[in-house]
Amino acid sequence: MAVMNLISTINHTLDQELERDQRVVVFGEDVGLEGGVFRATVGLQKKYGEKRVFDTPLAESAIVGTAVGMAINGLRPVAEIQFSGFMYPAYNQIVSHVARMRNRTRGRLNLPMVIRMPHGGGIKALEHHSESLDTLLGHIPGLKVVTPSTPYDAKGLLLSAIRDEDPVIFLEPSKIYRAFKQEVPEEDYTIPLGKAKILQQGTDVTVVSWGAYVHEVLKAGQLLAEEGISLEIIDLRTISPIDRETIIESVQKTGRFVVVHEAAKSFGPGAELMALVNEGAFLYLEAPPTRIAGFDVTIPIPRGEHHYFMDAKRIAHGIRRVANY
Amino acid sequence: MLEFRFPDIGEGIAEGVILKWFVEPGTEVKEGDSLFLVETDKVNAEIPSPTSGKVVSTFGSVGETINVGDVVVTFEDPSAPAAQITTEAVEEENAGVVGALETSSYVLETSSEASQEMQRPAGRKVLATPVARHLAKELGVDINLVTGTGPAGRVMKEDIRSAAPQVVQEVQPTLAPLTTTEPLEERIPLTQLGKTVAKTMSLSKQEIPHAAVMDEFDVTELVKFRQEAKELAEREGTKLTYMAFIIKAVALALKEFPLFNATFMPSTQEIVQKKYYNIGIAVDTPDGLLVPVIKNADHQGILALAEQVKTLAEKAKDRTLTLDEIQGGTFTLTNYGAVGALSGLPVIKHPEAGILGIGTITKKPVVAGDDTIVIRHILPVTLAFDHRFIDGGNAGRFMQRLRSYLEDPILLLMR
Repeated sequence: MAVMNLISTINHTLDQELERDQRVVVFGEDVGLEGGVFRATVGLQKKYGEKRVFDTPLAESAIVGTAVGMAINGLRPVAEIQFSGFMYPAYNQIVSHVARMRNRTRGRLNLPMVIRMPHGGGIKALEHHSESLDTLLGHIPGLKVVTPSTPYDAKGLLLSAIRDEDPVIFLEPSKIYRAFKQEVPEEDYTIPLGKAKILQQGTDVTVVSWGAYVHEVLKAGQLLAEEGISLEIIDLRTISPIDRETIIESVQKTGRFVVVHEAAKSFGPGAELMALVNEGAFLYLEAPPTRIAGFDVTIPIPRGEHHYFMDAKRIAHGIRRVANY
Repeated sequence: MLEFRFPDIGEGIAEGVILKWFVEPGTEVKEGDSLFLVETDKVNAEIPSPTSGKVVSTFGSVGETINVGDVVVTFEDPSAPAAQITTEAVEEENAGVVGALETSSYVLETSSEASQEMQRPAGRKVLATPVARHLAKELGVDINLVTGTGPAGRVMKEDIRSAAPQVVQEVQPTLAPLTTTEPLEERIPLTQLGKTVAKTMSLSKQEIPHAAVMDEFDVTELVKFRQEAKELAEREGTKLTYMAFIIKAVALALKEFPLFNATFMPSTQEIVQKKYYNIGIAVDTPDGLLVPVIKNADHQGILALAEQVKTLAEKAKDRTLTLDEIQGGTFTLTNYGAVGALSGLPVIKHPEAGILGIGTITKKPVVAGDDTIVIRHILPVTLAFDHRFIDGGNAGRFMQRLRSYLEDPILLLMR
């Protein structure tokens, strides 16, 4: 079993799926010759040729629109938006066509396509390179939105996404592209979309997070364990549709709920999760459901970026207040 | 810019000393080329480059110690454009097109999709709104012990108030109505204490199927003993009462018969057995019944118990009891003998398992072993118990044990 980081796992997974399924095509800005700005597609054009792995113009709307046409006509496009912050020109395609083709055609046409986007900040990049778009995408009916936190999950989720009969937005937390490695099985395996993962069983507080923050939450869990506070840590993995069952069942057990996310707090994904906790576990609550989330500001450019991010200590501080409420 | 950190090369090696550099800023390397030689406490290792590209800078000179995770080499990011605009050098130092990725060879624990079933706790949490939970906390009620009467067994605010110990509240003086003709009936509003008593008594009788056993204990020896010990106690500054002996005896008997120190939970069909022995003492006050609690009675001596009964009874009458002093009881004693009653049928204090009623000690003619009639001091007692989970057999045995303690004070004092 190979030990890989997140970015090489994406590369490995695309490679396997290109090999296995002739309908799969991979494209985007710098995806072909260069192999992607983050090296997600390195070597793939050489191996599969320009017809299956290719560069596009700097035109996100065209990238997604092309994918729609390909999917209608029997291909399985895996398009890359170079950074999620570049999605805005393609948002019209995503909302107006990708998300609703099945509905518009009363089920006659469906779009088996994936849009990959490096997502979130923490990489000291320029403006538009660090956005968290969970809400903008999760709010649109007809889209599945997935984000892995480990290399293992990345392979299983990406294979599920490519093989799904409907469009999946695949958000890759760029902060952890190379931050660690993990054993990734060589063989083919899928992880069901819409299913959260309980990373740590616990009794006192349910903490839900996803993407890069999962790892800070796990560290916070260790800090709090020393104080006798036991966290049940859940990696959401799929932002939409939310795995309501797992979260509600957990909160019914612990009575306390905290969501930790990178996106700005107001109107963020945490608000939705708190709402469903209220609906499903109200009679079990011992403390107010709580968000530990990004500030309501545009994510700062490199010099100030570290002020925006929360380390395990700050997360633990917020969870501690809920535990002791 | 790509950062290369001193990787974990295994074998538990955490640091090393740089022996030699193979590259310097500006060197073009290929992936796999050696960057530097490092000496660790186990091996000397040449560390290969993880990437191809131009070395921007090296950190640490020959002879310097580096730790696993330290940045040792930075490379120009091959995906970044060669020239960057550097008008604002400080602000944009790291701001390549793809930023600066944290790079490490740290290996995460292996994942799998197996065995992520959620562990279910043994007992479910009770259903309650947050406002009800808050009320329970405020009244010092363990909400998980309250029987819910709401939808699907939800614990309602009323349930919590009923389960709360009687809270002493200031009685508002009511003005006499200015009527000229005397009515035939009069409506007297209950005091707050009166309402609480009424509610808890109803709850107790409605929910708990009471059964009772009655007995008479020959406490002649105890009477004698107390007579002798009284003076001694007075010199210690304590008025020695029978109550202190009875509390001690009950606490000891409860430890031996834990079923009587328990609470029945109809919602979960469980018995909650308590490992602490807090004895409530019913006190008659002008405003109504109050039950202060003697905490951990099993750990206390006779004198200390006598002292506490006195203090708590006085506080009850002065209405200066604190919330803490009327909470947490596990079994109750009621001494109707104090008001001259010979015997009685006490009502269990919800959600306890039993209550012991104590009558008046009177001299009675008793047939002794040799068929002669002797005068003995007799104490009539009644044990009322929750018949849902305690039967007459348990109750009989409990009473026999109580008898052995109260008929033989020496045994009591030895425990």
